[in-house]
Amino acid sequence: MKNVRIWFKKDGPAKYISHLDLARCMGYVLKMARLPVWYTEGFNPRIHMTFAMPLSLGVSGEQECMDIRLTEEVSYSNVTERMNRHLPMGLQVYRASDPVMTFNEIQFADYTVELEAEDSREIADDLAELLAQEQITVMKHAKKGAKEFEIKPFLNAVTMDITGSQTVKLTLCLPCSTEGSINPNLLLEALKKYKGITPYASVTRNGLLTKDHTEFL
Amino acid sequence: MYSKEVEKLLLKVQKPGRYVGGEMNSIIKKKEEVDVRFAFCFPDTYEIGMSHLGLKILYGAINEVPYFWCERVFAPWIDMEALMIEQGLPLYALESGDPVRDFDFIGFTLQYELSYTNVLNMLKLAGIPLKSSERTGLFHIVVGGGPCVCNPEPLADFFDLFFLGDGEEVDVAVMELYRRCKAEQKSRQEFLELAAQIEGVYVPSLYEVSYQDDGTIKACVPKNGAPERVKKCVIREMDKAYYPSTFVVPLIDVVHNRVSEEVLRGCIRGCRFCQAGFLYRPFREKSIDVIDAQCQALCASTGYDEISLSSLSTSDYSQLNELLDRLHTWTEKEKVSVSLPSLRVDGFSPELMERINSVRKSGLTFAPEAGSQRMRDVINKNVEEEQLLHTVNVAFTEGWNRIKLYFMIGLPTETPEDVQAILTLGKKVVDVFYNNPNRSKGKGVEVTLSAAAFVPKPFTPFQWFGQDTMETLHDKQRVLKGNIPSKRLTVNYHGAQTSFLEAVFARGDRRLAPVLELAVERGIHFDGWDICFNFEQWMSVFQDLEVDPAFYANRHREFDEIFPWDHLDYGIRKEFLIEECRRAYRGETTPNCREKCAGCGAACYGGGLCVEKR
Repeated sequence: MKNVRIWFKKDGPAKYISHLDLARCMGYVLKMARLPVWYTEGFNPRIHMTFAMPLSLGVSGEQECMDIRLTEEVSYSNVTERMNRHLPMGLQVYRASDPVMTFNEIQFADYTVELEAEDSREIADDLAELLAQEQITVMKHAKKGAKEFEIKPFLNAVTMDITGSQTVKLTLCLPCSTEGSINPNLLLEALKKYKGITPYASVTRNGLLTKDHTEFL
Repeated sequence: MYSKEVEKLLLKVQKPGRYVGGEMNSIIKKKEEVDVRFAFCFPDTYEIGMSHLGLKILYGAINEVPYFWCERVFAPWIDMEALMIEQGLPLYALESGDPVRDFDFIGFTLQYELSYTNVLNMLKLAGIPLKSSERTGLFHIVVGGGPCVCNPEPLADFFDLFFLGDGEEVDVAVMELYRRCKAEQKSRQEFLELAAQIEGVYVPSLYEVSYQDDGTIKACVPKNGAPERVKKCVIREMDKAYYPSTFVVPLIDVVHNRVSEEVLRGCIRGCRFCQAGFLYRPFREKSIDVIDAQCQALCASTGYDEISLSSLSTSDYSQLNELLDRLHTWTEKEKVSVSLPSLRVDGFSPELMERINSVRKSGLTFAPEAGSQRMRDVINKNVEEEQLLHTVNVAFTEGWNRIKLYFMIGLPTETPEDVQAILTLGKKVVDVFYNNPNRSKGKGVEVTLSAAAFVPKPFTPFQWFGQDTMETLHDKQRVLKGNIPSKRLTVNYHGAQTSFLEAVFARGDRRLAPVLELAVERGIHFDGWDICFNFEQWMSVFQDLEVDPAFYANRHREFDEIFPWDHLDYGIRKEFLIEECRRAYRGETTPNCREKCAGCGAACYGGGLCVEKR
């Protein structure tokens, strides 16, 4: 038995499916690919799959990963190739590897937020004003209900680029771990709350990072 | 795929995965390389439509042909629909993302009457003229299939042609004809007249309907060479019928996310209330070898871990245990479970249950349909009370403790005593549980009695029957709700209002077209969904157009009345239905097709059980 880490991208149509749907879909794909996957033992055997950090619906992922177990030796390139033969549009495996770290070593994630608006300068100004505020509080929805949440401390390293007359690109790094995560969409909430604007945004999680901001492996 | 404009709406709606396409096994072709494009429209949500076997079969059959491309279209849910209208975005197909108005064929499957408003609404969202007469040129051919096509008259003005019976061959034949007509630059009218010559194709505009003073039909006269009677299409040998070797696997969860393997078509039973039992005759089975091979191919190509052996009555498959044994030679190893969608009371046995490993121990459902034996004899539901009690007793011994029983109220000749008998039967099931020493201990029994209002349908022995008025149905519901004899019984009943509307359209005629049109104009749609259904709004539509819905739903018909569907031929002789109706009122049952041929007429198709040795 061997643990294998599957690295994949999730975008296009696939970014509109939930984490639960993604897991089901990966199950179908592993079955179609006829990979010798290990099943959980129990009354209803399931393919053993664990995912690093769930991705919010609507967010693209550049370097997502999940772990499976193989009961026979299969080369990593073969795993990648066989899965890609069956994956739906928007899901693509780009690598399989040994799991070097454990999922609880993930502490941060890098994001890109691309905003579209009538005039990119205007929205850049709004953003600059927002980020210069002493405090930025938004409602954070959790299992126990919504509560006020201060996100300003997490937004100190945001970079902003005007990429076109109607587009602005932001990069940010936010906590992302099994203990808790900050959703990049909270920044959009703040933009709505303080500036009254709701630009169309496409959000991408570029990669998962350790506590030292090194690449999760 | 979806356009950039659609993408901007996706995060504002529930379940955006409904609108994106891109699923595994969905078929993408180059539109420059195909001659005819077919938009398969399912007039309900993605989750319902993607669970429908007919869609999977026809999607596969059409796409087999290299120069045809069939794509899927579903009704956007009200949140998405509102945004699309606001943004001026037309209805689009999931594979290409192209507007439905770019397609040659717009095909609807007509599964239930309450989806008719969705059909018209989808045409509207697509920006296609609603009426057949308003569409010109050899393009935008609006076609329909499915069980409701046995009386499509309320929709006749909106459709160019209907497919009667099994669709997998005739759909392709009509598309071939269209392709030829296009190449020869024939007109729309020429195409329709040629299509009417194909068996199983009904072109409503080629029939002139006239009415008597009392509102009933005087005559339905064909013109321009259209046949007097349109005969439904039948696939004679199921083993040779097209069956897809793969299904589109949805990215989001849908109602039935599994391999559906059709094991037989038709039904031997002849329950007198059941339209499907007559429409799909003759009874035809697939062989074990074919079913086994198709199941293997589908599991391999979809990754599904569940197979449902589907049909109108799978426990009537003649070699069910052998079939299950055959499937078990590989399903266990492949971690695939096999299930049956429904069970007859007399089809349940411990041996069978042992072979169905996926049945959850929690709930079992049976449909005795009526509470008293007299009533069951009237509807020809050949199930004895003793049999039911025996079956539930076996189930209790095997560890089940939740039983759901389906009934109908408002059946012909029904009395308050017959309704009361539903409760009595429920109580007896509860008693069987407590008298069973081997029942599962620690848990009580839960028996749910579910009563639907009966809707008389065309091509059944009850097609002459005036549906109970809503007042009568409410009275009967009160009997059910009034004196529940055990705390272990739960009684549910649903919608007299939706059943009334269903009855109106099931036996409606062409004069209902303006009703549907006005209803859709006023925003009525998704009538099958409680949160959308608005009965008062419907009644005001009827009132404003001075159409009496009771004429269609509640009126008793005489045997000599000409029905709106009399020119459509499903192989079932009217004399047979009259005889069955008479027997029903006398409380006489009719043996099933396997025991004895009742002479319904379906033998004219020369297939299945009708021509086999009994």
